[in-house]
Amino acid sequence: MGIIRNLGLLFLAFAFVGCNATRVVKPLDKGEKQLAAGFGGPGIIYTGAPIPVPLTSVSYAHGLDTGLTLSAGLHTTSAAFGVIQSDIAVGISAFQSKSEKFGVTVTPAINFLYDFYENNGRTYPQLDALSWWQYGEKDHLLYGGVGTWIELRKRKAHEQVQNNEVLPWITVGHQFNMEKWSYMTEFKYLGFQHETDLSVVDYVSPGGRGTIGFYFGISRSFGK
Amino acid sequence: MKKLIYIPLILLSCSCLRLDSFLFNADPSIESYGLDDYEGTVEIEVGPEYDIADSLIHLISMQSDPSGDNKKIHAVYLGNVANIATDTVILYCHGNRDHLDFYWPRVKLLANVGAKNRYGVLAMDYRGFGLSEGPSTEEGMYADVDACMRWLKLMGLTDERLIIYGFSVGSAPATKLTAEPRTMQPAMLMLEAPFASEEVFVEDASGLSLPGSYFTSLEINNGDLIRKVEEPFFWIHGVDDDYIQIKTHGETVFGNYEGTYSEAHRIEGGNHGDTPYIMGYPEYLTALAKFIERP
Repeated sequence: MGIIRNLGLLFLAFAFVGCNATRVVKPLDKGEKQLAAGFGGPGIIYTGAPIPVPLTSVSYAHGLDTGLTLSAGLHTTSAAFGVIQSDIAVGISAFQSKSEKFGVTVTPAINFLYDFYENNGRTYPQLDALSWWQYGEKDHLLYGGVGTWIELRKRKAHEQVQNNEVLPWITVGHQFNMEKWSYMTEFKYLGFQHETDLSVVDYVSPGGRGTIGFYFGISRSFGK
Repeated sequence: MKKLIYIPLILLSCSCLRLDSFLFNADPSIESYGLDDYEGTVEIEVGPEYDIADSLIHLISMQSDPSGDNKKIHAVYLGNVANIATDTVILYCHGNRDHLDFYWPRVKLLANVGAKNRYGVLAMDYRGFGLSEGPSTEEGMYADVDACMRWLKLMGLTDERLIIYGFSVGSAPATKLTAEPRTMQPAMLMLEAPFASEEVFVEDASGLSLPGSYFTSLEINNGDLIRKVEEPFFWIHGVDDDYIQIKTHGETVFGNYEGTYSEAHRIEGGNHGDTPYIMGYPEYLTALAKFIERP
């Protein structure tokens, strides 16, 4: 059939909700705060062209200690449709080179979703592991890594068995840093184990599996 | 404490946008039905051997849900109206696209089941589709199909001579009104490319067990409703359906049927809208006729 049949089905791509730009690539300094906004989502083919689903989110992060950052996000597009979706994460510096130019951040997180129509709630644990490389005078960041949502439910609708226990992704991104502002561009290959060639949504899906997500983020730091 | 004010602000920002109205893919822009003269896109094309004589094509209109959300809906009857009191009639519930003209070749095909005009065929445009009034809604769709049953009953049709056929989204009213009959109890249920529920759509798209209520208020649930159907059930589905997957939707509906008789036709190479064509029209019509006329 080749195209998304109508606008409503486009929004079914909301369902790839695991997706927002990485909240914190490198943990903040102790006491540092960061406000961020993100735009983007899974890639879909719409009227013949690949576009990211226009999902938006806002987040706040706080450097609790050296190498330990707490962040919380709210998905504003979901909220506009009556679904509260939020995430709380703790970014932990798992490794940092002596030169401080290279490091690994591990981020356990939890995602909550709740709709006010039928009071349906869902909880999805999440785990990210990112390597980052700092370069240039402004300490721009190149980063890449893996992550996953974890499906806790064993059954799907109509009592069918849930075979997807994880929704994994591979992340590659860049963070361009200014004095206070940062600009992030990120790609994710989402759900690469999940067949999407027969999905109702025409995802940008290499080999008929998963989808490529495109994300943009902007953030401002305080108290640095 | 001042920061607490942001909590209700955030909650207030959660508006009541829903996707329901977007989910109906109706085209109400036509001024009249073209049928054989329609030059727009159609689901499938059929040859002149399936044409129906003009004298046996009747455009009709009726009031739907007159005691509630009353709307005038339009339909077409293929056959001799005067013979409805004795004929068997297939009530066709079309899919989620445009209007009757888009599905006209399919309607004509059904008028060739068994033989030309062996059975009467009634097909309607749900509210919001084609010339039928009003916005498209799930409940309106049920009311509109029931209105057709009321018209058929008025013309003398009885339950044992009513067969209901639902294609794609039309599987919703077909299943609903067979499982929970209103005006009439169809004697047989035929579903082509039925969907199980909006929840399965969401699960297929996400790979996660997300509720359908995150996206829509529609409560279509053929996957569970089919359990209530006792009447004989015919299911046909394209194996390569990339809109309503056979594995997650069709097999669920078929597997949950617990009635008296069922048969499945899984069509290799069939996509969502072309299954009769891929199967071959003669084979498709023969399969339908065998099901209806089985001892």
